[in-house]
Amino acid sequence: MEYNELIKDFLDDANMHINEFDNALLSLEKNGLNNEIVFNTLGSLHTLKGNSGMMGFESLKIYIHQIEEVLKRVNDNKPELGIVMDLLFDSANVVRNAILCIAKDPSLNPDLTENILALQQNLENESVIAGKENMELASYLGTKTDTIKVDFKRLNDLLNLVGELVIFKTRLNQIESDIRETVGHSSLSKEFNDGLELMGKTISGLQEGIMRARMLPVSYVFNKFPRMVRDLSKSQGKEIRLVFEGEDTELDKTVIDEIEEPLLHIIRNAIDHGIEAPKERVAKGKSHYGSIRLSASQESNYVIIKVEDDGKGIDYEHVRETAIQKGLIKADDPFDKESILFLLFSAGFTTKQEATDISGRGVGLDIVNKNISKLNGQIIVESTVGKGSSFIIKLPLSLAIIPALMAEAGEEIYAIPMSAVDESIKVREEDIHMINNHEVIRFRERVIPVVRLDDFFGLEKKRMSRFYLVILGRAEKRLAIAVDRLKGQQEIVIKPLDDTFGKSYGIAGASILGDGRIVLITDVMAFWNTGDSKKINAK
Amino acid sequence: MTNIHLPASGLAEDILENYKEEQKDVHLVTFNLGEEYGVPISQVQEIVRVGGITMVPNSPSYMEGVINLRGRVLSVLNLRKRLGLSDKVASNASRIIVTEVGSKVIGLLVDAVSHVIKIPSESVEAPPEEVLEIDTDYITGVGKIKERLIILLDLEKLLKREKIEISEVEAGPHPGGDDGKDQ
Repeated sequence: MEYNELIKDFLDDANMHINEFDNALLSLEKNGLNNEIVFNTLGSLHTLKGNSGMMGFESLKIYIHQIEEVLKRVNDNKPELGIVMDLLFDSANVVRNAILCIAKDPSLNPDLTENILALQQNLENESVIAGKENMELASYLGTKTDTIKVDFKRLNDLLNLVGELVIFKTRLNQIESDIRETVGHSSLSKEFNDGLELMGKTISGLQEGIMRARMLPVSYVFNKFPRMVRDLSKSQGKEIRLVFEGEDTELDKTVIDEIEEPLLHIIRNAIDHGIEAPKERVAKGKSHYGSIRLSASQESNYVIIKVEDDGKGIDYEHVRETAIQKGLIKADDPFDKESILFLLFSAGFTTKQEATDISGRGVGLDIVNKNISKLNGQIIVESTVGKGSSFIIKLPLSLAIIPALMAEAGEEIYAIPMSAVDESIKVREEDIHMINNHEVIRFRERVIPVVRLDDFFGLEKKRMSRFYLVILGRAEKRLAIAVDRLKGQQEIVIKPLDDTFGKSYGIAGASILGDGRIVLITDVMAFWNTGDSKKINAK
Repeated sequence: MTNIHLPASGLAEDILENYKEEQKDVHLVTFNLGEEYGVPISQVQEIVRVGGITMVPNSPSYMEGVINLRGRVLSVLNLRKRLGLSDKVASNASRIIVTEVGSKVIGLLVDAVSHVIKIPSESVEAPPEEVLEIDTDYITGVGKIKERLIILLDLEKLLKREKIEISEVEAGPHPGGDDGKDQ
């Protein structure tokens, strides 16, 4: 973050804290000593003190520390408040003036030595004589701020309204084309169309504006990890450098909230399983410290988050042996990288003999997988033995409005989130083969299980000679969803379904199309569960 | 909704007395499911025609589907199926009663909406168990007007009970959908 932005944040924060301090003092003066208020005020001052120190305003930091001391003493000794209050109000003014001074010119570092001495003297003498810090009338107002805090719910409500607007607009588009079909081209229909186009532009602008307002830089999450990496690597005698890249990339707050946990598990896995001890690294001709690189970038409607380490990589043979020991696979099962990597993501799998504090309970990557799927995202693992591993997460920018593939099955249209889709292909009935009573398709030298959407949802079967397969990707796995027809891609607004009657398996929500029709959004996770159980049955 | 008729005396206590009388009345929207049923008008938001219902797979059989109610996705319950009555194909007279219970808004599919009526609360009696087709748990009482019987439904219970059943289902190993296929 730019220094100027930091200063802006600091000032906004400082103003808030100083206002809280003022209000607390007013309340103490009016109602007498109150432990809770003093405690909260101390917390607020403490934050301000810390921030001041961090920004290099040393004198201000020491001064606030002195105020804390006075306040603590007041709370312990319970003196008559009168004269102390004046002192505290004065001190609040000193701080406020100092902040004003910084706001005017951030390069000024207010020197409060005299004020500090005065407060110290007061503390020592216990006599607490208030020196008068005069405040300019205008400074009661504090500095003006360019940022406001908004309850996230309000932004959410706004986005919902915009979503409805988008739907109504598509509806108008539909009406426009209907009019053209029945009445034919006329200057009136052209004008109507022009008007619609203008409205469309404004709506897109509005939608983008609100989406932006909901975004947070991914650094918000990244910054939670340096401390964890430091502590964990120390406790394991490893040296690890954590590097960020693209931390300014912005993501919807709902996505930000959900990726914390997956990233936590991936990073601690990298520390525990990936990066070797310094000696081992040097012996391998690597630098004695390991690196974990956390990067984010935006690609069209998606955000790619990568966690890369330069550790020992995934030992496929070791994973396979463990899986055989645990009876997850058989010794004579074919050895291929993709299914081995997939094992890492299954519940309860771990290669560690004993669970450590950090990882090894075999729940980590399982959770990662679940959370990412819940976000309609994808995760890909790339690993080279001896060189390191990367976990690549692909997420939609927003959870509220997503691009989706519209697919028809049994006369119904279902939306499949695009973020889960790899590609789609047209096939014939004879392209589908049976293996162990399960339908599969050979595609790009792979055998991919097929789940038929009409079967899955118990819909009327139409069974056409030519139909489509939507290939889903998750980590190294592929799964094909058979549908009757594809109806193109569309941005859809996700609306939750009422769950009074229970959650419908395989349905993640609903969306309203331009013609007022409701389409159901499929829950890709459910397809995978079905696909996986097929695989297990097959063995 | 309620018209207060001013008493001839115009005295405040008489008006109040009058108002209390009014309060004792039960305002109902009545509808037909073979027999006549009623729900408090305070729980009814609006009544809409049946159309454009999207079926939701893997939902209970009494869940008719979802409709687009002015940009909002509304769940519609088939009240006949929910109450365990024989099923009937929707006709021209079929309506969806949009009800609001607590914070939930849910549509009820009924054969036909009959009236909006006001009956005195003393004419509401406890449900006579033996003559009713449906579970008396869902009934607050039976209203009698002359020869007519109106079964008063307890929407809160009808929907609350739902939740308990669902949590049981959810606790199961596999929440349906996957079964009954590929075998």
